[in-house]
Amino acid sequence: MLSIKDLYVKIGDKEILSGVNLEVKPGEIHAIMGPNGSGKSTLAAVLAGRETFTVTQGSAVFMGKDLFELAPEERARMGLFLGFQYPVEIPGLTNVNFMKAAVNEQRKYQDLPLLTSGEFLKLMREKMAIVKMDPSFVGRGVNVGFSGGEKKRNEIFQMAMLEPKLAFLDETDSGLDVDALRVVARGVNKLKTKENAFVVITHYQRLLDYIVPDMVHVLYKGRIVKTAGKELALEVETKGYDHIIN
Amino acid sequence: MTKYTYMPEVRRVFRCTVPNENIRQVFLVDGILQEEENERNGIVLQRGTNQMGLKLHISGDHSQEPIQVISVRNEDLPRPLEFSNRWELAPGAVAQIIVCDHTMQEYLYKTFRYSQIKVGDGAHLDILFMQNEHHRSNYRLDIDAQLNELSGLDCHILSLYGGVIQNTLHVNMQRPGAVCNLDGLYLADGEQEVLYDITVRHDSPGCDSRQLFKGILDNHARASFDGTIHVAPGAQKTEAYQANHNLLLTHDARITTKPQLEIYADDVKCSHGATIGRLDELELFYLRSRGIPLAEARMLQQMAFVQDVLDRVRNDAIRSRLERMVESRLRGEFTKCSHCTMHCC
Ligand SMILES: Nc1ncnc2c1ncn2[C@@H]1O[C@H](COP(=O)(O)OP(=O)(O)OP(=O)(O)O)[C@@H](O)[C@H]1O
Ligand SMILES: [Mg+2]
Repeated sequence: MLSIKDLYVKIGDKEILSGVNLEVKPGEIHAIMGPNGSGKSTLAAVLAGRETFTVTQGSAVFMGKDLFELAPEERARMGLFLGFQYPVEIPGLTNVNFMKAAVNEQRKYQDLPLLTSGEFLKLMREKMAIVKMDPSFVGRGVNVGFSGGEKKRNEIFQMAMLEPKLAFLDETDSGLDVDALRVVARGVNKLKTKENAFVVITHYQRLLDYIVPDMVHVLYKGRIVKTAGKELALEVETKGYDHIIN
Repeated sequence: MTKYTYMPEVRRVFRCTVPNENIRQVFLVDGILQEEENERNGIVLQRGTNQMGLKLHISGDHSQEPIQVISVRNEDLPRPLEFSNRWELAPGAVAQIIVCDHTMQEYLYKTFRYSQIKVGDGAHLDILFMQNEHHRSNYRLDIDAQLNELSGLDCHILSLYGGVIQNTLHVNMQRPGAVCNLDGLYLADGEQEVLYDITVRHDSPGCDSRQLFKGILDNHARASFDGTIHVAPGAQKTEAYQANHNLLLTHDARITTKPQLEIYADDVKCSHGATIGRLDELELFYLRSRGIPLAEARMLQQMAFVQDVLDRVRNDAIRSRLERMVESRLRGEFTKCSHCTMHCC
């Protein structure tokens, strides 16, 4: 589904990713851990198409297509999703209009008829229920005045609306209280099928109690230095990165 | 060049969907009132000075019956056309007026329109100016508004099309307790130019004024915004705010903005602010990462930018219609209104 080979990425003159390799297959859940500044968000953003980064070497193939040839919106419509570490506020644009535009673009791409207002609202209500989001959020500006946890829920809600094939969730668990964490995890598990895949970026093993990964990777200074089963997360938490790197 | 002709006998051509079917419409063609002077339900409609323009004197509550004044340029005159409209509200009156300015053909029209507004004690006027001419017209609107005791004025200006649009507003809060909300939206592209010159004078104590003006400039468009709030000595307990925010879509678009405060009283709350910005790159990426194509994402950002100005139009029917017009204007689809056979507003 996704195959990243020897990926090097720069911002300005600074190299941030230095030869990342990663294979994700349908039905899998991967976790990426790593110290602050190791390049986790960069990896996710580069795959989603953030233009501030320059790919200097390597490739990323998603669903048989070279990702770096595609605009961010094309990647999204093919089923790639990024749950942002810092979701963006857009004053003046309501959540409902945002999602309506997104869902309609996706349906156009899939050659499906556009949803009527009634159908759309029904879909929205259904998906909001999954993340226990208050219905009053639909009419509010995108992420405007949302608490940290509410923003993260909104990311999962958007993911539920778009039903991606591959979702990168960048620290969706950070700043969540235990209940919210469970809600988010339940959302992910509910959306999980044999056909789709998730890559969760996290600092905490506790998320992985709810979303059980098939593989855990440690990203360090722009490289994946270790890959193992879910026990690696526990090792990171108890022993720290120094122990793993050495 | 499409040629439209004004046909007073064919009323339906002017039947805009603003804001409902039964809206009262008054026509001015090249400044000449197209109906006999009359008086209905406390609304006196007369010709203005030298038989040009109009004078509306309103008493009573007409909040549920907006009046639309459709003012079109038709003939190609050798000189600029100049006329004056007067809007007078008797004490306690409430009125909602929409003034739509259009051109029927693409001549190099030059029009000066003066608008004299008098809001009587305790009266409230909501007036919306739609500026929808074409890229070769030269348009000037001079508003002079006098607010009396405890009166209110909501004035909205939406500039969609026009070669050079020059708006001069003088608002005089001459009696205590008056409240005035001024807002405007200017969308300019190509070689369009929009010039604003606003003076709000607080001559009496206890008055509030709030101004919000926003512009989106594309291509080589130019705009300037001069705004002055003047608080006279003795005008204590004044609250006066002014904001001018601009979005530049290209490097060639230009805006000069100069908000100024002249305050001669000490117990006042005043603020002003101006910003000039570009579409936010991170916002754009966020939208695109959800599958929204670049052009559409930019559109959503622009609509988001103008939303708070549109929100100040309290009549829901009118507001949602304006939203559609602004959207199609930003998409570049819009030259003339698609909702009426006359292709005016
Ligand atoms: N726009 C930028 N300009 C300069 N440096 C940047 C920029 N964006 C990221 N970096 C740098 O790239 C490195 C990797 O950042 P990244 O956000 O990918 O780290 P991360 O692993 O996600 O960290 P965290 O766990 O704190 O979220 C950091 O050193 C960061 O300072
Ligand atoms: Mg990060």
